[in-house]
Amino acid sequence: MKTMLKISVIAISLAFMLLADVPFLPIKLVPEAQAIFGVRRRTAVVAYSAGAASGEAKAAASQQQAAAAQQQAAAAATPAPPAAAAGQPLPVGTVVSALPKGCVSTPVGGVEYYYCGGNFYRAVFQGNQLVYVTAQPK
Amino acid sequence: MKRKVFLFAMLALVLVASLTATLATAQAPGVDPAATKILKRMTDYVGSLKQFSVHTQNTLEDLLDSGQRVDLEVSADVIISRPNKLRAERKGDVISQIFYYNGKTLTLYNPSDKVYATEAAPGTIELTLDFAREKLGLTVPVADLVYRNAFPLLMQDVTFAKVVGKAVIGGVKCEHLLFSRPGVDFQVWVADAGKPLPYKYVVTDTGIPGRLSITTVMSNWNVAPAVDDARFNFVPPQGVKKISFMPVK
Repeated sequence: MKTMLKISVIAISLAFMLLADVPFLPIKLVPEAQAIFGVRRRTAVVAYSAGAASGEAKAAASQQQAAAAQQQAAAAATPAPPAAAAGQPLPVGTVVSALPKGCVSTPVGGVEYYYCGGNFYRAVFQGNQLVYVTAQPK
Repeated sequence: MKRKVFLFAMLALVLVASLTATLATAQAPGVDPAATKILKRMTDYVGSLKQFSVHTQNTLEDLLDSGQRVDLEVSADVIISRPNKLRAERKGDVISQIFYYNGKTLTLYNPSDKVYATEAAPGTIELTLDFAREKLGLTVPVADLVYRNAFPLLMQDVTFAKVVGKAVIGGVKCEHLLFSRPGVDFQVWVADAGKPLPYKYVVTDTGIPGRLSITTVMSNWNVAPAVDDARFNFVPPQGVKKISFMPVK
């Protein structure tokens, strides 16, 4: 009797373990499947982790004056550069996709900063995209 | 009594097992097994390769604010040596970048900007790609080909699969496959003789009125490339500055 109970418990739990193998895959796996060959759409459907390509596309768009529509995802990931308000200090940590005009390279403690408009910027990779973030040189 | 319990156990097992089987093979009537079979042959083959290199030409359809459609082009050269080496170089108007992974560190290098960033990386390509995506927000060309479970990832939620016909891509005769899932259609062209390699891949976003696509055309497949370590190690050239990655929040 006990053996049989054991067997039934094992059988059922085994079955449930198998059930767990059925591809109810976590949603985060979806974009890999879709963005297979290294580029990612900016839409919510394909680019769940709307990262690189959308950012890249956005950067290109702003560089080429080819502003892309439907980039809410990208816009959320990379705030648009603030309007060129020269001389207005930005909060530390503000991300811009391109340095404002007239920035001067200013190395501080081995780190390259760019100074302009009352702000120090530092280059960083945000995903695949090179961006500039306002910082306080140490 | 014993017998009853046994019967109950067997019944439960059969029920749950059949439910599992039903769910596992739950495919809409629109799914043609001939199409999924070819897809699986391709993903199994690419997953089994110890090394490969491939050239890809990627087209990202986009829309201008003024409404016109415009294509952004990126080409990428990828070389992989399993289990722990990968190099991917992207060139194009939206990006110019090389990704290196040598089994110990990963590096992202923008030659034209003269900057690079390096991080310690896990010990396999798969773990490193996960790490790069989750912690650094990076994407790597052909990343998904490297994952050994590409097939279930592609087939997830697929409601429609069809062998469209045959086409020639870059001189290679291919089977043309079409798959559909909610929000996304994708097409794959797989060589129908010799090595079952993919030669073209199109993902269409059906969730938006514009139905924009990403198209990747693959060429120069090499399943026995030279994989000397120097190709996977980054040595910063003179004047190139080290920067950091912004962690994903």
